[in-house]
Amino acid sequence: MNEEQLRNELQNKEKEIQRLKKLLGEDEHFKLLTVPEKDLEKQKEKSETLSKEDISRYSRQLILDDFGVKGQIAVKNTNVLIVGAGGLGCPAAIYLAAAGIGRLGVIDYDEVELSNLHRQILHTVDRVGLSKSLSVVQSCCRLNPSTEYVPYHLQLDSSNALRIIESYDIILDATDNVATRYLLNDACVLAGKPLVSGSALRFEGQLTVYHHDGGPCYRCLYPQPPPSEAVTNCSEGGVLGVVPGIIGSLQALEAIKIATGIGTSFSQKLLLFDALDGTFRTVKLRPRCKSCLVCGENPTISQLIDYEQFCGAKATDKDHKLHLLERSQRISAKEYSEMVNSKKPHVLVDVRPAIELDICQLPHPVINIPFTSLSRNITEVKDQLLLKLKELSSDDFHDYTVPVVCVCRRGNDSQLAVQQLMKVLADDKVKVIDIKGGLHSWSKHIDSHFPIY
Amino acid sequence: MAYGSERVTCLVSLLFFAKSRELVGQKEVQLQVPSACTGKQLLNHIVLFYPELSLISNNLVLSLNDKYLDIDENQVTLQENDELAVIPPISGG
Repeated sequence: MNEEQLRNELQNKEKEIQRLKKLLGEDEHFKLLTVPEKDLEKQKEKSETLSKEDISRYSRQLILDDFGVKGQIAVKNTNVLIVGAGGLGCPAAIYLAAAGIGRLGVIDYDEVELSNLHRQILHTVDRVGLSKSLSVVQSCCRLNPSTEYVPYHLQLDSSNALRIIESYDIILDATDNVATRYLLNDACVLAGKPLVSGSALRFEGQLTVYHHDGGPCYRCLYPQPPPSEAVTNCSEGGVLGVVPGIIGSLQALEAIKIATGIGTSFSQKLLLFDALDGTFRTVKLRPRCKSCLVCGENPTISQLIDYEQFCGAKATDKDHKLHLLERSQRISAKEYSEMVNSKKPHVLVDVRPAIELDICQLPHPVINIPFTSLSRNITEVKDQLLLKLKELSSDDFHDYTVPVVCVCRRGNDSQLAVQQLMKVLADDKVKVIDIKGGLHSWSKHIDSHFPIY
Repeated sequence: MAYGSERVTCLVSLLFFAKSRELVGQKEVQLQVPSACTGKQLLNHIVLFYPELSLISNNLVLSLNDKYLDIDENQVTLQENDELAVIPPISGG
């Protein structure tokens, strides 16, 4: 290597060190917590006055009749914890920071990814790979450095939830999974804190305040968790970025209203937002349920339980790999690529929703049979496939049975589809297989230009 | 199905939200429902017409004219043009 090459190499290594430092959360302004912090348990000293800078910064809300100096001091003396630094947590955090909340805790175990940025608007391109909670507080601090920020890079669970929550007055549920929602609900009931709950999926959002002012808790409304197959997450169902943006902003508003006592909160009311119709509907909810297991008159839940077990689902919105098929029923992306290159006849069935075929497709003629409608149309599908198989069978490949190859985005639905198709095609001696790891695997191992989503 | 000897029914709007909307594939339908029944009977009646909802029938809120309807309620009275809603929770964010 010549001198210039060495210099470049050195520069690259230094950049890499900076990047790794960022990933480790070594930030000059913030200490990234990976365990609950003891010192936080001490309540901060209450402020009773506003500084000159406070007065100028918050002047536009100080002159509001219902809010005033009293409201601003209340905000300053309130500590809010946001659980989830994603599509809901970002707008909630930035408005609470802007409003001058005293302490803002932000919890997330995850790191920033490119596919987050369309809705998680406080992260930036150069923070991909960085802790989400750190990224959120860095952005908030640029807007308002006078708030105390506490980023937690950890998974909230039964062992740490109560310790963390205890240092805060109001909790925001900005999470993305059922198990954490039940955990947070029970923790807030046990700790006696109001829970401002927001959620969003596709073009819909929901908002309510639990365990506040005689209103119900999450369990009063939904004593039983849904079966895991009935839960759609954002990575599977999609979400328009501005939808959690609106709900997260409303969560910040609710927190400010509870902190200052102005207006009426969404306790005992559920807001249903439909982005496509442009409608906000408010449903009056029940009061606290006397027989509720956690907030009722004879509660049986007096400490946090195992919520992943209770919900039968992991406390994340990440998809988990299914292993449903035998090795002989699956081929790798590489094996499929060889099949295409050697022009071996086969019927390729893409089981993704039709809309996703516009994003990308494998380089082979494809029949689209969305998995979601497969069981409904199974008879027609069977006839369609048998017809296609007959067309493709020729004398050129004597000992070769033309297979049906199923593919989906990640290789889960394709396995479920194989199982369903096997049932109806077994009598016709048709071979049905899937591509292991789906299009993600194709992109990783065969065609690096193939888009993943 | 006998909901009492009279079997009086009325036509209501039934709205679907979140997962129920996904399962049924519609936002709103008209449905003939018994005018007087229990909360459970009403839910069963809805699930009978939309069996795909059985997956989430233990995990939803029902509302009648934008007010919570307790499924354990013994006496639900419905009128022509009432608005019923099926509201499962959204968990994403």
